[in-house]
Amino acid sequence: MTKGRIRNNVRKLRFLGSEMTQQQLAEKIGVTRQTVIAIEQDKYSPSLEVAFRIARVFGVPLEEVFQYETAESESGSAA
Amino acid sequence: MNVSYQEKSILGSLLAVVVVYGYYFASVLHDARPEFDGGSLGRLVFAVIAIVVIEIVYHIVLALESKPEPKDERDVLIDCKAYRNAYFLLATGAFLVMGWVIMAGLVRDAAPTRIIVTPFLMVNAVLLVMVLAELMKFLTQLFYYRLGLR
Repeated sequence: MTKGRIRNNVRKLRFLGSEMTQQQLAEKIGVTRQTVIAIEQDKYSPSLEVAFRIARVFGVPLEEVFQYETAESESGSAA
Repeated sequence: MNVSYQEKSILGSLLAVVVVYGYYFASVLHDARPEFDGGSLGRLVFAVIAIVVIEIVYHIVLALESKPEPKDERDVLIDCKAYRNAYFLLATGAFLVMGWVIMAGLVRDAAPTRIIVTPFLMVNAVLLVMVLAELMKFLTQLFYYRLGLR
């Protein structure tokens, strides 16, 4: 099995979404600001429930917030 | 460096355990007689009370200085990993202490290989294992808070 990595656009979406602060997002999705920071830095992959809450806050599909990348998918997109 | 409330709490507890039990075990090592007496029992009770008092005072000060944050799913996951590592160390230590006591019983009368087991040494061996497990918990938590969970 190829091990992948979950990437996200939370930081970008936060700025596009009327420059929402990390604290505001944290309160809306029910986690601490430290967890939002960890998510943005790719240091933590949230649970499916929190991932759906983030997508709902920004009003976008889940795939627009989180992407699952493997070495194969990266080489495929580069080709 | 951005240090969260949880990390400050762990760092304070880690420091308290290192200082208090470091002092305690250093004094145990310098004990001439490995037996319980007024002095050794007093030091043990003092160490336990000192840890409790330091923890309470530190967390009151910490709560006044920085806003306490409730634990979320990331904190709980980090706790689980920390308790797993601490449990592994605790179980290993418990087996080592059991092995030591059993060996001491087996070679009780063989003078050249005599292993000393006294209630004082057994209590301190168990306490050392518990302290090491606690340190493992704190260090694992700090590791995952700093380097992240992937």
